[in-house]
Amino acid sequence: MEFDLENPLTSSEDEQHGWGSISALFAAEADHMISTVGLIDLSSRRDAVSLVLQAQFDCNLDPFVAYLAINYIDRFLSKRKIPREKPWIIQLLSIACLSLASKMRKTNLMLADFQGKEGFIFDAQTIQRMELLVLGTLDWRMRSVTPFSFLRFFISFFSPAQPPLLQALKAHATQILLKAQNEIKMLEFKPSVVAASSLLSAAYEIFPIQFPAFRAAVSSCNFVDEDKLWECSIVIGAATVTATDGCDDSSGMGVASSPETPVTVLGRQSSSSESETAVGSSSDGRELKKRRTTSTLHASCDHSG
Amino acid sequence: MEKYEKLEKVGEGTYGKVYKAQDKATGQLVALKKTRLEMDEEGIPPTALREISLLQLLSRSIYIVRLLNVEQVEKNGKPLLYLVFEYLDTDLKKFIDSHRRGPNPRPIPSPIIQSFLYQLCKGVAHCHSHGVLHRDLKPQNLLVDKEKGILKIADLGLGRAFTIPLKSYTHEIVTLWYRAPEVLLGTTHYSTGVDIWSVGCIFAEMVRRQSLFPGDSELQQLLHIFRLLGTPTEEQWPGVGSLRDWHAYPQWKPQNLARAVPSLEPEGVDLLSKMLQYDPANRISAKAAMEHPYFDSLDKSQF
Ligand SMILES: Nc1ncnc2c1ncn2[C@@H]1O[C@H](COP(=O)(O)OP(=O)(O)O)[C@@H](O)[C@H]1O
Ligand SMILES: [Mg+2]
Repeated sequence: MEFDLENPLTSSEDEQHGWGSISALFAAEADHMISTVGLIDLSSRRDAVSLVLQAQFDCNLDPFVAYLAINYIDRFLSKRKIPREKPWIIQLLSIACLSLASKMRKTNLMLADFQGKEGFIFDAQTIQRMELLVLGTLDWRMRSVTPFSFLRFFISFFSPAQPPLLQALKAHATQILLKAQNEIKMLEFKPSVVAASSLLSAAYEIFPIQFPAFRAAVSSCNFVDEDKLWECSIVIGAATVTATDGCDDSSGMGVASSPETPVTVLGRQSSSSESETAVGSSSDGRELKKRRTTSTLHASCDHSG
Repeated sequence: MEKYEKLEKVGEGTYGKVYKAQDKATGQLVALKKTRLEMDEEGIPPTALREISLLQLLSRSIYIVRLLNVEQVEKNGKPLLYLVFEYLDTDLKKFIDSHRRGPNPRPIPSPIIQSFLYQLCKGVAHCHSHGVLHRDLKPQNLLVDKEKGILKIADLGLGRAFTIPLKSYTHEIVTLWYRAPEVLLGTTHYSTGVDIWSVGCIFAEMVRRQSLFPGDSELQQLLHIFRLLGTPTEEQWPGVGSLRDWHAYPQWKPQNLARAVPSLEPEGVDLLSKMLQYDPANRISAKAAMEHPYFDSLDKSQF
């Protein structure tokens, strides 16, 4: 069964609409959070993320494969340190995680696609061993609960419940989630909070009229903590703004998030210092871009045209 | 694999032996089960990855035997995967046998039957809620910790995940004795009902200490069922006559089910009859079974 980020627990069709499955998701999400985000080496992560995004760009890969790969990378890095003097391990890790993610998603992908011309070439056995190391480190828990798992639930709070509107809302929130993944601070929030925040940001941008009612409905949901929702919206706003700023459109669809999104999305003022720290610490798009051009994976997928 | 010391063979698996072993570092007892999954050029095979991660997800329930680890072993230059499970001291078949034969034959105490059945329903409900059919529920695939009175589902075979709408599956998957009539009659649509039928057969077997429908061929299996429950009719089971392997069978009248399980209390007989409904759509679900009055006298807080 193909791994569906929106349904990680593979709930059956009738279950998905029922209460059991959503409460199971809320119960499971704590298990899927990284408790030691602080242990993730920032420069290792940045390098790995940019390798994955580069591969996604070069090979025109399903963005969910890249998303899942980065999820694995984050979880791996929170458990194991990579020696600084061995930068090739980051490359190997990125390849292994991409390979695992595409297998989970049933996307066909040749490992050779990721082998850079100028970079290190890993033989099949090395990659295989890295796959097993990643699997072991992640306890074979490859069906990650992510914000995507909660979109369906929170979208149900939107009114009017017209399919075209709901689809547009979901599509926009999806773009926000894909972009915001660059920002390591996102890992500090529960997947459900991230999902709700991304939908609120999306609604604010594309359905301003329906937004207040939607915000009220989501905030009143017992499962979410309104303060967290607000904090998270700020981080999301900053992360998506930075990404757009740096002309970094790696996911292929510019999210036209206005700079004021983070501060107004929950109808509060952003005079607090929290918003500043959030903005200041977000990953720098330019930096990402620069690294990417020098990446050893660059231009490795010229066959894809 | 050097982490484990093999102690003894505990089962003959479909793909090789199952060993009892000990984790050298922690002393923990484990069961090692060889899989047919081989690593290839492209690393771990995608189906293996998806299925083992599903098994890992399911095994987080305490009613499913816990997958502890996955180990890779080189065999004739080929890497093979071994699954490492928590070890339980016996399976339900051995447990029932020990009550039937040996030095001390005696009925299984009814509170134990009740508790085992409840745990079984819980495990099955867990699988079903994740869209997974077991399809081979039988006493050999249920592990038992006698001391603690715990029962867990094992042998969640790989490749059993289903998506709705149900696809058709190849035949010959459930051991005959526990095989649902629709499977025997060649249905192309498997549903959760196939597992519930098996649960019913296992329930009756715990009470009787012998199989309820011990058929030795598909036809004999059907006749065993028809003789007890009556030959199914179109009113009882709409569409039965158009199933692929339906023939004109002798017409039997249903017998009194209680007579097949004489020591079972009426509530238990009622639950059993709901599990052994002919029409899969009428069969009780695992979740609903857990709410059945048969379990009213059970202290559910312990589960
Ligand atoms: N975790 C375990 N602890 C103890 N015994 C086990 C365990 N797993 C399997 N066994 C024994 O091995 C037998 C075969 O294992 P099973 O997983 O059912 O493999 P197969 O797919 O070959 O039927 C079981 O019937 C049981 O007796
Ligand atoms: Mg078995």
